[in-house]
Amino acid sequence: MIKPLITISGVGMLASILAAARAPRLWLGGVLAGAAGGLGAAVLALSTGFVWEWRSELTIGGEAVHLRLDALSALFLALLSLIGGAGAVYGREYWDGRAHPRSAWSERVCWSALVLCLGVVLLTVNGLHFLIALELSTLSAYFLVTLDRQRSEVRAAGWLYLAASHAATLCLLAFFTLMAVRTGSWELASMRDRPELAPLFWLALAGFGLKAGLFPLHIWLPSAHANAPSHVSAILSGVTLKIGIYGLVRFSGWLPMPPQAGWVVAFLGVSSAVLGVAFALGQHDLKRLLAYHSVENIGIILIGLGFALVAMGQGNARWGRLALAGGLLHVWNHGLFKSLLFFAAGSVLHATGTREMSRLGGLWRLMPWTASLFALGAVAISGLPPLNGFVSEWLVYLGLFDATLARGSSAWAAIPAAILLGVTGALALACFVKVCGVVFLGAPRSRAAADARESGPAMRGAMLVLGAGCVAIGLAPVLFWPAVLRAVDVWNPVWGGAATPVALSSLGMLHVALTLLALGAAGWLWRKARRGGLRRAVTWDCGYAAPTPRMQYTAGSFSSIINEWFASILRPERHEHRPEGLLPVSASFTEHTPETVLERIVMPAGRVVMRVSTAARGLQHGRVQSYLLYLLIGLAALAVLVVLGGGS
Amino acid sequence: MILIFNLTFRLALWLLLAPLLPGVINKVKAWVAGRRGAPMFQLYYDLAKQWRKGVVMSTLASPGFIAGPAVAWAAVTGAAMLMPLGPAGGALSFRGDVLLLVYLLALARFCTAWAAMETGSAFEGMGAAREVSYAVLAEAAIIAAVLSLSVQTGSVSLITMLSPSAGAGAVLLAAGLFAVLLSENCRVPFDDPNTHLELTMIHEAMILDHSGPPLAAILHGASVKLLLFAVLLVQAVLPMRELSPLAAAGALAAGVLTVTLSVGLVESLMARLAFRRVTLLLTTAFLLCLFALLVAWKGGAK
Repeated sequence: MIKPLITISGVGMLASILAAARAPRLWLGGVLAGAAGGLGAAVLALSTGFVWEWRSELTIGGEAVHLRLDALSALFLALLSLIGGAGAVYGREYWDGRAHPRSAWSERVCWSALVLCLGVVLLTVNGLHFLIALELSTLSAYFLVTLDRQRSEVRAAGWLYLAASHAATLCLLAFFTLMAVRTGSWELASMRDRPELAPLFWLALAGFGLKAGLFPLHIWLPSAHANAPSHVSAILSGVTLKIGIYGLVRFSGWLPMPPQAGWVVAFLGVSSAVLGVAFALGQHDLKRLLAYHSVENIGIILIGLGFALVAMGQGNARWGRLALAGGLLHVWNHGLFKSLLFFAAGSVLHATGTREMSRLGGLWRLMPWTASLFALGAVAISGLPPLNGFVSEWLVYLGLFDATLARGSSAWAAIPAAILLGVTGALALACFVKVCGVVFLGAPRSRAAADARESGPAMRGAMLVLGAGCVAIGLAPVLFWPAVLRAVDVWNPVWGGAATPVALSSLGMLHVALTLLALGAAGWLWRKARRGGLRRAVTWDCGYAAPTPRMQYTAGSFSSIINEWFASILRPERHEHRPEGLLPVSASFTEHTPETVLERIVMPAGRVVMRVSTAARGLQHGRVQSYLLYLLIGLAALAVLVVLGGGS
Repeated sequence: MILIFNLTFRLALWLLLAPLLPGVINKVKAWVAGRRGAPMFQLYYDLAKQWRKGVVMSTLASPGFIAGPAVAWAAVTGAAMLMPLGPAGGALSFRGDVLLLVYLLALARFCTAWAAMETGSAFEGMGAAREVSYAVLAEAAIIAAVLSLSVQTGSVSLITMLSPSAGAGAVLLAAGLFAVLLSENCRVPFDDPNTHLELTMIHEAMILDHSGPPLAAILHGASVKLLLFAVLLVQAVLPMRELSPLAAAGALAAGVLTVTLSVGLVESLMARLAFRRVTLLLTTAFLLCLFALLVAWKGGAK
């Protein structure tokens, strides 16, 4: 049953690539068929635990094509299919042929290619094919990011993305070739019994960590996600980052692990979570802010994975299962709500032409759908009940609490991790109150915001599907739990069998009860207010006579208290011109949070490399005499080496 | 059937008793200042009055302006229903319910701050910004306190966690949780519910534009939250498991009254802190909870 679905999926995607240039409708049909096939196969694999394997006679690069779908890859394939399909529908309206006659067809080709290649990455069990598909997906993502390449910041973002991705590819090339050399084959499978392969994990961590946007390696992420078209940002953030997570989870399950691996991953996860949200609070650009929240959520996922690794190192402690299940469920959740938020942000950008939060405001009246769906995503990403973000964070918390109660060495990591996870949640809440308040509530701050128009049915439909996913996982977590557990048990089969009692059904029922209570209370209060005589008046604001939109609290002022706490890490750039004298004429204050890691660490290091290389270039000047001299010096050095080395 | 009866009874208890606490606090403040003060039941009168009034809404506000307080009220009430009540135990208990309680309070905060941002008023934005910022530190303290109770009792559900054995850690935990109570419920020294200077307010600044039934929902929700924290504090510190049911019920009531009186006394004897100091005090509360955690850890290792 899985094979025909996968075939439909593959054929659909291939057909969509062929149809992309001429027949947009056919393209959409192909992508949707592909997505439906992929989703169906993933659901089958997740609900039955069946492992599908297929070897072909066909060879690519001298290696036979070998595909395999187990619960772990199905978990990611389900997300890819959903976002790939929803994004295609959204993109039809967002990047339509009339507004972008030159790039619309290449957008369609690259979208199909990206989704297809990511699917191959998830299914293949051949190292060489994994690398090829990953590289092709990077290239298609690059062309998608730079669709609007007339703008210089888009080109810069694309270049940075390409450079960082290739640094990652370099690490992964080393990882896969070393593994192939040591095992004698490109085939990938569980290699737990080969302890000499353990150090390779660090290469995988660097490579997949760059792909996933872990904290110090996230430098490419904010600018690429901010400057790409919004449905591309959604798939980059919702799915492409998860490929990094997939790689880490897959190979940490298949390879023997160095003993420190779990601790390092957990530490990186915690620092990504806290610092990601701290940087997000400092942003004024809506999409850049969302991009930093991806760093935060990747951190939460890695906290789950890290503690699962620690648990595995400590005799397969059962709390590791909870932590990893929370992390993997968060993969789905983050994919859903972050794509939803990027879609909604794209809808705002589409309507107003700006991502600058200080130019927006009061959009709820003109864009009620976008505003309410963004609010839904905001509640979900802040990890609040009754939506899906809370369910996965709750599972991670339970894992951390059990690790504390186990009282081993793991407790000393679990305690700070639990506290910092709480802090992360509170910071994310602060950040999303800020975003919702500044962008959608209050009065419009510019002409563009006052003239906004709600987006059309395609964009709204895509957002509704993702929003429904968030609500479904929040209200009925029990339905999704067996699937997540199957993926966890693929990762570590030792945990399989015995059930881990988790009160998810109680949680789900309380979520439903809470939703009903909240809806009832809101409806009742609204009716009561309407009947008692609802009067509209200008905002009171303590009696100020003529409030103007410019007097509203801005994004910068809202987050200033928290920014001050993190100032030593964020290094905000401030320019202030204080009012002076009795009757001050002018005063100003601007604050900007730079890409601190990129601008303070990576770029200076890059400049040093450039300087050294420029100096080295001086050796090559085209004078034959000097080249002869180099040859002589080289020969002399070799002779000295031989003479000295001959003795030993 | 019994469950429904149980839930209804609890709900009535929480909703009806909660507005008494601010009345007691105000009475204590009046008594210390040598005034006669407002009647103990003033908040009930206020709620009834607000409920009958009409609503004035800002022209900028969306329906969220009214839905926000309603959802916040529902979240706080839901959190209260999770809280076990001394000898009566909990009605809805499951493993990990404590985290749901903490996050329901966060949901209430989100909704209140959302409703504040609706009006586009600078004062309300300021209040919302302060509320969500200081809550970050309070959240760290609460998670540390929860961890400490969890380590002490070896459990992750409220019903077992809230019957600890008294010890040195209890004093630290009580001090830490009391500071969190003051901060989360916007009492002196973090915030002054009676101030009339908008620039120095937190919670009151957020609800400047609310009126009528939504204001009643906010005020009532705030009083339920205060009672919730008082009950949490008392049960986290008093070893009630060892008492007979009647004595335990008496201890719980006496404990909540003591906490309320202490809030009133603190409010009478202290001034509001400068905003720079708020961070410092909340960090101290966090450290107290953290030390309680370490004490619980040592105690359990014996």
